[in-house]
Amino acid sequence: MIEVTGLYKSFGENKVLDDITSSFEEGKTSLIIGASGSGKSTLARCLVGLVAPDEGGVLFDGRDFLGMTGKERRGMLKEVGFLFQGSALFDFMTVEENIRFPLDMLTKMSTDEKAERVQFVLDRVELKDAHKLFPSELSGGMKKRVGIARAIAPNPKYLFCDEPNSGLDPQTSIVIDNLIHEITQESNITTVVITHDMNSVIEVGDYIMFLHQGKNWWEGDNKSILKTENQEVLDFVYASEFMKKIKA
Amino acid sequence: MASFLYHLGRYALLIWRVFSKPEKVSIYRKRLFDEMVTLGLDSLGIIMIISLFMGAVITIQTSANIDSALIPAYTIGFTARQSTILEFSPTIMALILAGKIGSNIASEIGLMRVTEQIDALEIMGVNSGSYLILPKILAAVVINPFLVVISMFVSIGGGYMIAQFTDIVSVPDYVYGIQFDFRPFHVNYALIKSVIFAFIFTSIPAYQGYYASGSALEVGKASTRGVVFSSIVILIANYVITQLVLI
Ligand SMILES: Nc1ncnc2c1ncn2[C@@H]1O[C@H](COP(=O)(O)OP(=O)(O)OP(=O)(O)O)[C@@H](O)[C@H]1O
Ligand SMILES: [Mg+2]
Repeated sequence: MIEVTGLYKSFGENKVLDDITSSFEEGKTSLIIGASGSGKSTLARCLVGLVAPDEGGVLFDGRDFLGMTGKERRGMLKEVGFLFQGSALFDFMTVEENIRFPLDMLTKMSTDEKAERVQFVLDRVELKDAHKLFPSELSGGMKKRVGIARAIAPNPKYLFCDEPNSGLDPQTSIVIDNLIHEITQESNITTVVITHDMNSVIEVGDYIMFLHQGKNWWEGDNKSILKTENQEVLDFVYASEFMKKIKA
Repeated sequence: MASFLYHLGRYALLIWRVFSKPEKVSIYRKRLFDEMVTLGLDSLGIIMIISLFMGAVITIQTSANIDSALIPAYTIGFTARQSTILEFSPTIMALILAGKIGSNIASEIGLMRVTEQIDALEIMGVNSGSYLILPKILAAVVINPFLVVISMFVSIGGGYMIAQFTDIVSVPDYVYGIQFDFRPFHVNYALIKSVIFAFIFTSIPAYQGYYASGSALEVGKASTRGVVFSSIVILIANYVITQLVLI
């Protein structure tokens, strides 16, 4: 479980996070939704220490992450998988090397075990034959999937995915959503997914936080979000004609 | 001034982190080897071409500027050797490499910064500064003295070619000149410089790249700053070392 209390972050005059309090439970897929620029990525980056919040606390199963020393943090980050919005694959490594890298760094697996694990996660993101390709040879959606494979390869306890299905076709998108949902349940991971995809929200949203004006504006799950009366959430959810029709 | 101190402090902190104990030595070993190969092989060609012409030009220049019968002909070879060993090979080569390797390092690391690859390393609990920068600094510090020695030989060889193929100076005079009053200490002095300069032209561009932010445009600027600052620092360091060691 990850608990966030009273988190604030501003960039100069720009107040991005304004008193965020929430908790993300293990075995559940928690979603952070909100308009572009609402601070979703910034929130995720604050949670793992890539951005230093101005104020607030983050507890990983009771461990005070922000209060840790650099060394303690590095130790804890070994339990974290993170998919970046731009994938952040290492350019100078092939797909295979990218996925094996965290295994080299974080685990004591043998070479064979690593090879097996790489194959396993590549299969799960439906990229069977991409081993030897470099990131520059992949499409945007393929990069995303390699990024997910790399994030889940070392069996993290905490998984963060920043827009895992932006740039994917609807079918692959569902495959990825289901994959994240499944491994979250199978391995009892605390998973936080940032998305603006309403499909994902409905399919896998065990918990949903709606960020608006830097605040935790609304929270609930994929059932309650369809019944809410909150105007800003309604505007977000029923932005498309398609969703409006579903409602009607 | 405040900004200078800010950068100096942040640079020192980065270097501190770069040299803190690495987590997995085996991974560094491979990266160090790769960097040494790239650095050595990729720079060898340009070093040799520049050194060859440099040696030839110093020889011609020296003879053109000495037209007194009182000065012995071997002075040409002697001067060519001294300027090559003391300044041209260690210092000019460092400036060339600051341009070539420095810009490369700054843009490579800068691009990794703006595409969040450095963040990805940090998330994996990897000391990104050490992982990315340490192999580059060590590789340069180890390889640069070899490049400088090669440059010395090629440059003096360039002068020899002038002696051989023109009548500016005779071969025996040149050969006598390059052996005249040879002090091994001067080579050591050049090697010390080559190590210090290698540290400068890798660590400063690495710092610029590591703290690049924003876009590819910023990476370009970081790369330029890396080259300019490392060149200036090399020249200042050269002055200081010369004062300390030779006087
Ligand atoms: N390093 C930074 N320096 C200054 N401002 C920043 C920085 N990072 C983010 N911001 C600002 O914070 C705000 C939120 O950005 P963030 O990337 O968190 O949005 P987001 O919700 O992830 O948007 P998107 O859905 O488009 O990815 C934006 O106004 C952005 O300009
Ligand atoms: Mg974002």
